[in-house]
Amino acid sequence: MSSRGGKQKKGNVTSEQEEEEQPLQAVLVADSFNRRFFPISKDQPRALLPLGNVAMIDYTLEFLTSTGVQETFVFCCWMSNKIKDHLLKSKWCRPTSPNVVHIITSDLYRSLGDVLRDVDAKNLVRNDFILVYGDVVSNIDVSQALQEHRHRRKVDKNISVMTMVFKESSPGHKTRCEEDDVIVAMDSKSKRVLHYQKTQGLKKLQFPMNIFQHGSDEFEIRHDLLDCHISICSPQVAELFTDNFDYQTRNDFVRGILVNEEILGNQIHLYVTQDGYGARVSNLQMYDSVSLDMVRRWVYPLTPEANFTDQQGQGCTHSRHNVYRGAEVSLGHGSQMEENVLIGRDTSIGANCHISNSVIGNNCTIGDNVVLDRAHMWNNVHVSSNVEIHQSVVCDGAVVKEAVRLNKQCVLAYNVVIGPNLSLPEGTVVSMHHPEEEEEDDDDEFLSDDQEVGHTFNPAEVGPEGKGYIWKASMNDTEDEELAQCLWAFQLEVLGTLQRGLEENIVCDNLVLEINSLKYAYNITLKEVMQILTRVVLEYPFQQQGTQLTTLQYTGSLLPLLKTWSPVFKNYIKRAQDHLDCLSAVEELFLEQDTHQTAMVKVLMKMYQLEILEEEAILKWFSTGATNDKSRQLRKNQGVSTTYRAYTEQQERHCVGKGIFFSMEGAVRRTSVCGTVRPVQTPGLNTEVFLSSSAPEVYPVVERSRG
Amino acid sequence: MGSAIEAKTHKNMPGADKEADLTERIEAFLADLKRGGCGTGPIRGSGETARETTALLRKVTAQARWSSAGDLMEIIRKEGRRMTAAQPSETTVGNMVLRVLKIIREEYARSRGSSEETDQQESLHKLLTSGGLSEENFRQHFVHLKANVIEAINELLTELEGTTDNIAMQALEHIHSNEVIMTVGRSRTVEAFLKDAARKRKFHVIVAECAPFCQGHEMATNLSKASIETTVIADAAIFAVMSRVNKVIIGTQTVLANGGLRAVNGTHTVALAARHHSTPLIVCAPMFKLSPQFPNEEDTFHKFVSPHEVLPFTEGEILSKVNVHCPVFDYVPPELITLFISNIGGNAPSYIYRLMSELYHPEDHDL
Repeated sequence: MSSRGGKQKKGNVTSEQEEEEQPLQAVLVADSFNRRFFPISKDQPRALLPLGNVAMIDYTLEFLTSTGVQETFVFCCWMSNKIKDHLLKSKWCRPTSPNVVHIITSDLYRSLGDVLRDVDAKNLVRNDFILVYGDVVSNIDVSQALQEHRHRRKVDKNISVMTMVFKESSPGHKTRCEEDDVIVAMDSKSKRVLHYQKTQGLKKLQFPMNIFQHGSDEFEIRHDLLDCHISICSPQVAELFTDNFDYQTRNDFVRGILVNEEILGNQIHLYVTQDGYGARVSNLQMYDSVSLDMVRRWVYPLTPEANFTDQQGQGCTHSRHNVYRGAEVSLGHGSQMEENVLIGRDTSIGANCHISNSVIGNNCTIGDNVVLDRAHMWNNVHVSSNVEIHQSVVCDGAVVKEAVRLNKQCVLAYNVVIGPNLSLPEGTVVSMHHPEEEEEDDDDEFLSDDQEVGHTFNPAEVGPEGKGYIWKASMNDTEDEELAQCLWAFQLEVLGTLQRGLEENIVCDNLVLEINSLKYAYNITLKEVMQILTRVVLEYPFQQQGTQLTTLQYTGSLLPLLKTWSPVFKNYIKRAQDHLDCLSAVEELFLEQDTHQTAMVKVLMKMYQLEILEEEAILKWFSTGATNDKSRQLRKNQGVSTTYRAYTEQQERHCVGKGIFFSMEGAVRRTSVCGTVRPVQTPGLNTEVFLSSSAPEVYPVVERSRG
Repeated sequence: MGSAIEAKTHKNMPGADKEADLTERIEAFLADLKRGGCGTGPIRGSGETARETTALLRKVTAQARWSSAGDLMEIIRKEGRRMTAAQPSETTVGNMVLRVLKIIREEYARSRGSSEETDQQESLHKLLTSGGLSEENFRQHFVHLKANVIEAINELLTELEGTTDNIAMQALEHIHSNEVIMTVGRSRTVEAFLKDAARKRKFHVIVAECAPFCQGHEMATNLSKASIETTVIADAAIFAVMSRVNKVIIGTQTVLANGGLRAVNGTHTVALAARHHSTPLIVCAPMFKLSPQFPNEEDTFHKFVSPHEVLPFTEGEILSKVNVHCPVFDYVPPELITLFISNIGGNAPSYIYRLMSELYHPEDHDL
């Protein structure tokens, strides 16, 4: 039996390999830690959302298994029970599965960093592991990347801690996610990452000089890369996350490693592949493109008809033009499935429908004369006749009544009813959850109508028989939210630092040092640092003594603080633009605290005296950029100062006129609004002093801005 | 954690352990089949797939619980259905399942001492009445059946081992000195066939590269290593070059029941060009590639893989504007084929039906 002999030989080889290499492990993060899929992900965790009628996490697990991963740790946070149930039912938890799946749940994970710190704390990984999110769809063969990674680790004594897998794809590729666009500078030979930067919203990119002087002959700066969100990590990665408790995301980590490369000596490498497919479904746009890519067979062999999840009744057939049909699909007379259509089992479609580039789930009913283009319908959806759906997502149990038109990028979340006779504008998001209930703890997944006491459906928005609320949040501003969160955390840290500085009498230089390190930790621009610093300092009295302070008390406690911390300010406010930014931060704060607007003059005065702000900047700020009513009003208060300066210097006739006009109107308004006129007058006298001295230099600026 | 405990409980009962091991092997094989062939065709040749399938079925026979031939056939059928469903384009798997079923039938008949099953005489009458010979006839228990079946499967395995050599041995009968031979893509069988002929004769091979996977390049490299004069041509040049060619020798993925081929993309072009120039077209196909499938069974017949090879994913914007397809197989109708060379000798396409009835039992054609 030579065949048997061959087999045994093979077996020996693999066992030898296993001796030197321990089983390959993977960490799968089944939580996105963001809200890009809100409000859909309110009812179902993102990893379980269907992509081509298969939960996304199944793609990820199949990818891991096919690359030879033998042990996977699935970390869940949001709706962990659902994920657990799903996995326990799936083929991954069968005893015959070559990939042993461990599910680890905790409500305390807030970021990738938390997960990896937990990996380290529990000591789960023993060797190099693959790190992926639960929404990665890929068929890339990472074994070569793995080999390269291991080879580097062997040769360079564990210097390389991580290999990131990227797929080559030119800019403008529809499967490239704008948020994840990066520019990477790397050493051509060693594939070492020298510089890594997200490019979203940037028009100008800066590279540190030292990467060009690193001694390698050749290096590449690449923007034609699609981040697959697959990384091969050494166990050190988890340790590094523990050591640096401020790392939240992989980005933080990569930046941290690159910044500290010289100190810690860790390196990150890149693996760029041309073959295979790999993308992360990181938002709804990506969902649309990845889903279509899958139907177009880019992810072969993970195609719909392969039924790789091995579930009963999920099989479907594949015919020309990439039309897939599940079992028991019925199609009415004259209906056309043009191309790239996937229809789940037990779905019935009426007559004269046109369907293209769409995925329809199981158990859906679709009426007559329906047009579907790039529609993503999940299970149990009912669509009545004469409906048009373009590039939209319709979740489980949704009902679309007669003659409804969904324009591009609409989302109908779970169990929503729309119509009849309605056209939803582009980008409409409808959910059964009211946008304002967000903060409430929702234990029940499905809110029936009876529970909706406080809110009623708006028939103008969702149609006469409609059920659901319009979500104003478009897909994009969640990013800002994330940034805002980051800034908020930073602000708290700065406040803490200053507080401690005051209590323990720390030298300003050290405070600057601390704030700088915070800046790096949160990756915040200098401008934001300065604005937040200004804000924190100005809010400090409120923080300490409550918001009930009178204006006098406020200024009384603030001015000494300004004096104490003036070196800190001076450190951050250097260029002319910094001055303006600082002023705008001041303005912003006083716009919010409108009862204390009168204190602003004093603050500006003090800042001028402490040489934090230059008079030129103050005047420039004053003369330009009143963007809305409120800020205009604020300037009117300040207008008093101009008046004084104008009176004393008696220059520039029409400026004077304007100044008087400002102050008059301002005064009237002030009395009507809050009635604290007096405090303004007193600082006004002081203001005169500094403004008059600087007047000659300033006028040209004023004039220019008018001309 | 749970799996560890389960594994322990299994160990307490050796039978269950065996069975668990068996299902694990089957699952692994299925997963392999499903993942098999990322674009450039299966990683292993179909010969290897055939051997693995047969070895796995032998394991099933040896380890599964069955008491009569009927039970065993039911088990094999069930597993066979799963295996063929895992990768419908890999017909070899299904063929091997049918072969094993046939073996069981024969062994059962022999154990019973009747010559009915070995009597291969097929008539219309028999085909019509064969439904009457149903499963209850296989209920009888025989002690030696298991050993006999395994022995027969072992014989089948030996046969599979030797197929390529058997085919290659016939090379000298078909290839003469100073001939120009054309082939398309890469076939392990054709490669062995040509190399065998090259030991004694000098001839020239033209290889069509077979885009988009271009397996032809690999073929040409291998042939030139065996010091055969080799030329690679683009697929577009097939017709132009055909007038100089004396013989076309190709491999195939499947030989269909009507004598047609399901072969790699581009084979149809070659066959048509050969017919136009009256060049003989010889197909090297081991017996295990003979499938009872007819070419009209639409859905599983074609296999579309990732369009990456046709239009790289790196292209960018254009991808959202076009639809790209990348089919793997061509259908070549039987009238374009001159001769099949299998491990048991040369046959005309019209004779395929006969081979089919020798290899498979008519009742098994649908698993």
